[in-house]
Amino acid sequence: MVGSILANAAPAVAELSLNEKWISSAKVVLTGFIVVFAMLFLLILVIKIYSTVVSKAQEKSIMKAHKKEKIAQPNDSLKKPVLHPVSKSPEAPVVQDGIDDEVIAVIAAAVSTIYGPKTKVKIKSVRKSGGRSAWANAGILENTRPF
Amino acid sequence: MEIFDGFLKAINGILSSSGIFTLNWQNYVMIGISIVLLYLAIKKQYEPLLLLPIAFGMLLVNLYPAIMNPPSVELLTAEQCAAQHVEIAGHASRVIDGVTYYENPTYGGLLYYLYQGVKLGIYPPLIFLGIGCMTDFGPLIANPKSLILGAAAQIGIFVTFTGAIFLGFSEPEAGAIGIIGGADGPTAIYVTTKLAPHLLGSIAIAAYSYMALVPIIQPPIMKALTTKKERMVVMEQLRPVSKLEKIMFPIIVVILIAIFLPDAAPLVGMLMLGNLFKESGVVERIAKAAQNELMNIITIFLGTTVGATASGQNFLTWNTIKIIVLGLIAFSMGTAFGILFGKLMYKFTGGKVNPLIGSAGVSAVPMAARVSQKVGQQENPGNFLLMHAMGPNVAGVIGSAVAAGVLLNIAG
Repeated sequence: MVGSILANAAPAVAELSLNEKWISSAKVVLTGFIVVFAMLFLLILVIKIYSTVVSKAQEKSIMKAHKKEKIAQPNDSLKKPVLHPVSKSPEAPVVQDGIDDEVIAVIAAAVSTIYGPKTKVKIKSVRKSGGRSAWANAGILENTRPF
Repeated sequence: MEIFDGFLKAINGILSSSGIFTLNWQNYVMIGISIVLLYLAIKKQYEPLLLLPIAFGMLLVNLYPAIMNPPSVELLTAEQCAAQHVEIAGHASRVIDGVTYYENPTYGGLLYYLYQGVKLGIYPPLIFLGIGCMTDFGPLIANPKSLILGAAAQIGIFVTFTGAIFLGFSEPEAGAIGIIGGADGPTAIYVTTKLAPHLLGSIAIAAYSYMALVPIIQPPIMKALTTKKERMVVMEQLRPVSKLEKIMFPIIVVILIAIFLPDAAPLVGMLMLGNLFKESGVVERIAKAAQNELMNIITIFLGTTVGATASGQNFLTWNTIKIIVLGLIAFSMGTAFGILFGKLMYKFTGGKVNPLIGSAGVSAVPMAARVSQKVGQQENPGNFLLMHAMGPNVAGVIGSAVAAGVLLNIAG
């Protein structure tokens, strides 16, 4: 019975001649090869273009934000721990008490992995985030999220 | 005495409708095969999420073929209607040889109804929705050239099409067989239901078996086609990709592909919708549902009903053996072309690209990328190719959906 359901959909196969087989195969191979590559090349092009546009636009907005920050707080000594390109004098990061050197090494490795060997970054300070643990935050978020 | 006669009749009825008298040898062979597949799924854990429901669907349909029966109409005389308590009123009637028969509709088997989601091409795009929610296109956006590898690995599909044509399959059948080389289960099922639904069981089982066997099939091909020096290449770290780029990606891809290749739109559209759920970050609950509950439910229905298409009479044919051989060729060629294009990129970039990431272009996410990582690490334990291989790997999903669109357009 299952066969009968599926057999209904089976097309009537007319035996192709050798010549027809070559033509059919060449048609599919050529079209498939060209269309798949053309589509994916088009995607490469589009991704490259929009990535460039987006990253330039974001760079500009970051620069603007920095400028605004500088104008608003010219002598702000209590900055948050942010990453800046490395300066000429390699200073050790300010580390809060109770954080192991191993943890610092892991954080440094993670930062280096994300930014890559070419981008030079500097960790200015490492401190524990206050308040609840990540798990406690996740629990509260899960229970208080509106439906 | 009457009671005894009734008892004998009842026992006779039960026995005559039991599998002992209704099943044939093919069904018994398939029951054996399904038990082997269950063993592989449970003990060896070969793609158990799919292999287990597929194998059980196969087992069920061969034990009780009526579970896949379509609804039909039986013809009953007035007396038979009365005996079975069937109302005559409202039923169409026809007269055959002077006897009036009433048309009594019967219901189809359970799996027949669940199978409609496969037959109508509904389940595979829904699976793609869930896959989209779980996929990070970041490595692909960071290195768009990996799309070339995703395209190269699809060449196997079209070359296998030629092989299938010369083995006597029709164009639509050859298209459905070739797509096994895409190593993407939902795409293979989607294309097969449109082009050659009678081959669905064989093609789906071949596709999923080869996907499960990626760690066994790919490494020898990868090693044979590359030198030790090439396998040792350590690739540069990928650049970080911004959230905005990740949000724009699914929108741009779906616009481009749906405009140029509308046949691929259901698969790519759902994949990108799922990805937008994930990347937008504003519909977290929907993204969660699509990648967990919805995907799991669809996987149960899809797996069981695809398995149920493999009834003995359908599955135990020469065509199945040809499909399994052609599927292996498609898969191996996909891997080989991915590696060869990887080698080309190695040459053109002056040795910056490790050719091993090319084999990940055959989809099979993330297994194929893991294989690239593993083979690379065998030569150089400090080499981490996983993220680099994820680029071609997710590109392969898009590539095989595009190839599916091409096949549906040409061979459909």
